[in-house]
Amino acid sequence: MNQMTTIKEVDPITLQVIRGALETIAEEMGHVLYRMSFSSIIRESQDLGAGLFDVNFNTLCRSGSTPMHIGSIPGYLRGIAETLEDGEWYEGDVVVHNHPYHGSSHTPDLAIVVPVFYQDRLVGFAGNTAHHVDIGAATPGLIIDVPDVYAEGMLFAGTKLYRKGERNGAMWNYIRNNSRAAQQLVMDIEAQVASARLGARRFVELIEKYGEGMVFGAANQLMDYAERMTRQRISEIPDGDYTAEGWLDDDGRNRDQRLKVKVTVRVRGDEVEVDLTGSADQTPTAYNVPFEGSTKVAAYAGFRKLLLDAATSDTRVPSNEGSFRPIKVTAPLGSIFNPRAPASAEARFTQCNRMIDLIIRALAPVMPEQVIAGSSASISFAAYSGVRPSGDYWVFLEVNEGAYGGRPRSDGPDSIDNLMANTRNNPLEDLAMHIPMICDRYELRDDAMPGAGEFRGGIGVVKSQRVLTPGFITHGSERHTDAPWGIFGGHDGVVGRCTITNPGKPGEEREMHSKFSGLAVGADDVMTYYSPNGGGYGDPLNRPARKVLEDVLDGYCSLEHARGVYGVAIDLDAETVDVAATEKLRAAMRKPD
Amino acid sequence: MARIGVDVGGTNTDLVLECPKGVFYHKVPTTLKNQSIGVVQGVQGICTKAGIDLSEVEMIVHGTTTATNITIEHNGSECGMLTTAGFRDILHIGRHKRPYNFSLHFDVPWQTQPLVKRRNRIAIAERILPPKGEVAVALDEQAVRDACALFRKRGIHSVVIGFMFSFLNDAHELRAKEIVLEEMPDAYVTISSELARVMREYERFSTAAMNCYVGPKTSYYLRDLDARLREAGVTSKLRIMQSNGGVSTVDSCARRPIRILMSGPAGGVIGGGAEGEMADTPNIITVDIGGTSADISTIPGGQLKIMNQRDTYVSGYPVLTPMIDLVTIGAGGGSVAFIDEAGAFNVGPRSAGSEPGPACYGRGGEEPTVTDAQIVLGRLDPDMALGGDLQLDADLARKAVEEKIAKPLGMTVKDAALGIIRIINNNMALAIRSNSVARGIDPREFSIMPFGGAGPLHGVALAEAVSARDVIVPVAPGITAAVGLLKTDLQYEHTEAGILVLNSASDADLARINGHIEKLCRDVHAELDADGIARDAQALKIIAECRYQGQGFELRAEFPEGELTQDNKRVIIDSFHDAHEQDYGYAYRDAEVELITLRVIGSASVRRIEIPKVQPTDGSSIDRALMFVRPTTFDCGRTLETPRYDRTRLYAGDRVPGPAILIQHNSTTLVPPGYVAETLDYGNTRISKGA
Repeated sequence: MNQMTTIKEVDPITLQVIRGALETIAEEMGHVLYRMSFSSIIRESQDLGAGLFDVNFNTLCRSGSTPMHIGSIPGYLRGIAETLEDGEWYEGDVVVHNHPYHGSSHTPDLAIVVPVFYQDRLVGFAGNTAHHVDIGAATPGLIIDVPDVYAEGMLFAGTKLYRKGERNGAMWNYIRNNSRAAQQLVMDIEAQVASARLGARRFVELIEKYGEGMVFGAANQLMDYAERMTRQRISEIPDGDYTAEGWLDDDGRNRDQRLKVKVTVRVRGDEVEVDLTGSADQTPTAYNVPFEGSTKVAAYAGFRKLLLDAATSDTRVPSNEGSFRPIKVTAPLGSIFNPRAPASAEARFTQCNRMIDLIIRALAPVMPEQVIAGSSASISFAAYSGVRPSGDYWVFLEVNEGAYGGRPRSDGPDSIDNLMANTRNNPLEDLAMHIPMICDRYELRDDAMPGAGEFRGGIGVVKSQRVLTPGFITHGSERHTDAPWGIFGGHDGVVGRCTITNPGKPGEEREMHSKFSGLAVGADDVMTYYSPNGGGYGDPLNRPARKVLEDVLDGYCSLEHARGVYGVAIDLDAETVDVAATEKLRAAMRKPD
Repeated sequence: MARIGVDVGGTNTDLVLECPKGVFYHKVPTTLKNQSIGVVQGVQGICTKAGIDLSEVEMIVHGTTTATNITIEHNGSECGMLTTAGFRDILHIGRHKRPYNFSLHFDVPWQTQPLVKRRNRIAIAERILPPKGEVAVALDEQAVRDACALFRKRGIHSVVIGFMFSFLNDAHELRAKEIVLEEMPDAYVTISSELARVMREYERFSTAAMNCYVGPKTSYYLRDLDARLREAGVTSKLRIMQSNGGVSTVDSCARRPIRILMSGPAGGVIGGGAEGEMADTPNIITVDIGGTSADISTIPGGQLKIMNQRDTYVSGYPVLTPMIDLVTIGAGGGSVAFIDEAGAFNVGPRSAGSEPGPACYGRGGEEPTVTDAQIVLGRLDPDMALGGDLQLDADLARKAVEEKIAKPLGMTVKDAALGIIRIINNNMALAIRSNSVARGIDPREFSIMPFGGAGPLHGVALAEAVSARDVIVPVAPGITAAVGLLKTDLQYEHTEAGILVLNSASDADLARINGHIEKLCRDVHAELDADGIARDAQALKIIAECRYQGQGFELRAEFPEGELTQDNKRVIIDSFHDAHEQDYGYAYRDAEVELITLRVIGSASVRRIEIPKVQPTDGSSIDRALMFVRPTTFDCGRTLETPRYDRTRLYAGDRVPGPAILIQHNSTTLVPPGYVAETLDYGNTRISKGA
């Protein structure tokens, strides 16, 4: 067979045409996957990613789903290359992979990869990842307090579900017998296979239309373009070493040991290094971050948000490896961001979000117009489960949102997925019609106000879920001790909380740690999660009095807070600002006495 | 007797009139502040043109963007909301997903421009329990009255009522509405269970809130228009185009304005569908190209497709109301071409709009647009725009393309202009693909139908890009949407949650479903009755919206004839499997199928406009239509001496070989070399590869 010759210089018009075609394929793959799937974590939360890749594992295109997924597939592909069954790819193969020490993001995120052959030659891959409800780990759905990676459930490394188009019945049978939510797991894997095969088909059609050399030439050029754009933005940051630190609550077992996260950002010309040296050692629980599949992906995503903000820039930079090339990520082996096997590394999201938050903080002094104040920078990931009268398990995974820090031109958004997270919540009515749970409250937090500032922090969520029959809850969250930071005169936000109550036992309230595993709960027990409120940006005295009034009327700010922190006097009955009193108050507060 | 279709666009208000004397077209400028002024002027103008009296008009069908514009301009009514205690912020939190993955400075429209401000969302103690809908906490009636007092104090007249699980039991919503109307007799009240009786609190509440937000203004507009028309001497019925492609009465749309949020583009799709019928071509893809955007819709077998309810968003807010399945992309004549800071060549989605407009308008625009590229390539004659009514400046167009694109990229002006066209065509082709191929439709069996004034310039290129069969150009491309208004039926829809697993449904379950269907049919009949439609002229269609148990997205399945029984429930199940296979390329034939929503659509046909046929060819030369010959550049890069023909002087059966351009008052059609344009019976045109 002829080897292809990559076209070096694809004309700018064809380049845009091929780019558009690639992006459409990725979106189509993602669409099919989440519309077809059964578990709410995929179909509602859209905890998935999909794309096409070349033989060197470069991303050609990827769906706009959850950021953690869309950057991680190349890591899986490298891991599959190390472990591939038969040692080689055949046309018609379908591989499943999730080994965290072979490139996966974490074990519940199964990748399905299909090789793409053109004229009998391997030319690339179509693949996707999706978070599955239960892969047979130590506790239903999620894990935290476990000894090692083998407690995470089924590990797949380069495992073929289909070989040369032939279904590997034994493997499907094995999967079906090792999950508490076997039916969902199997049907969702089938949805992943359908999506990957669709991508492979479209990939071949594209090559047939434009020629192999043109398609890969365009892909290379799009990577160079993304790299150029990223380097340009990095070079606008003054050279220097910028550092920030924060603390994680605990590892889910050793309650008295806070864990440090230290981020040093080294800017040199048009390159940057994120150095996590000085962060905590790896933990004995699942609270570690796989380096290839998660630490690096999160650092890249953080810079993409900071440098190539999709909402404020006129042009869309393609999602590919190009934007990663100028960014180096360092984490010492044996640290929480780069654990040694066989440490478990399943519960890794909050650490990633915190790292991004601290990259932003480190760069605040030199990028005041691009950064935002401290966000919730955590996540609440809860697994509710129980056994139905039939003896079958029900397992439900819920991602709860956070809040953003105040921003240089606007308030932090309230109750919304934060930083690396971008999932959808589950319709409460749909849930209650199908599992023995009911939501008692889903609102903005009103027990604590967000960080004050010229632009205030976002308000976190409060969500109370009641189980109707005895069951288990595993919950991973963060920031019960270290509040989101305010900046440039803005005040700090508020820490998160989690309680267990029961309407039958009024007055009893159990304050929970931010992480707990396999907690047995009784009928009508209610878990209530309060996400952290974001920090403020800028001096609260500079916040227009009218906006403070709006916040008071909307219940985001008390009268006392308006007066004491913002220096705004409000006539609540007339729903107006007392302008004269406000001027006086603010003048007095500005004058240092 | 005469009938008029009037379609209000961003720039022009287009009218079509049908009467025994023939079919007439007319255009007046849109009066942006109050569209009704332009509509009345237009109606008067077209009647004068046709030489008929206003009193002879029997029906006026109107496509309007009034409701949509309220959502875009964020100037709807200040609303109050009563909602279940514990769930005050459902509208604020939405689905907690950000609009962008990679951004720190994004806007969240449902938080910064809420349909109901938090201060006006009042939590009321009440609770309905799933899965049966029993009352666990009675409605706190005093709290409802107190909330009304607050609304009165704040001058609020529009009240949304949305309670959790009201799709199972609407008693509390109905009672709260009664109380609100006692306390505030003039209030505009919407309850969530009457608009979309379906599961999913955020979408249902948002739908009700949107109705209250656009309701008072929209109903004022519709009633005001009605009054102005009467004042002008029109005695006809006024009908409004709805998003689902059916028309409805002023009264009904005033109560449920969410049904007309997509009134504007719907007319175009209907018009395109009707033109497909006239060309004996049931499989078409309509492409309605305007100044800033293009609306694309696929019509297989002459049947309009309705969008999945999970996709019906308006200006970022979910609205559960049936809408024609169409995609809108930022690609039109005014789309701006530019080079970004890293050197990439982009066209759109930013548009030059009508102010300053394309460079060739000479209103100060310096950036090249798609229209400018067409002029540079000689495809649009600057002296022929709108039949010469609009003078365009070719030098300014050329200068813009040269300075902003050609020079920076080191290419010729011609290549730069061709590039602009190629990129914009590709953007449209991808959107066509997402609305067809991505949903299991093979474009090779479809014809592209381009319209909007500039649409037919792009038709052949789009057909090539998506491998469509051929191109059909409507009779009057610039006015197809207005014609579409006279091509549709009265239509009403009602829904009910009917959640159950079909495979294992008991006889009692089926009886419950039959009960729901009976009620829905009753409601739909009542609406048609109110419009004075005789029962035998009312057609009802029942749809079962299903999913595999455990999935989150429903697809439409067929409902069997007559009562649902254990024997015929298979009809729903099988039709759902087929729909799943069609949409996703895969069906889980062994999985259980769950019914989620029942929908009954009632319609009554309205007489359709009849477009007169043109004279069949007498064998004479097409030179009778020849206007002049000018050089024109085609996509292949060749510049050829290209004849212009007056499209209105072509006879049915005439074949115009490319290269050629067909000119008429409101549109220009490009026939590239290698293609032949055949005039069809009604003066419509089929362009296909020349044999």
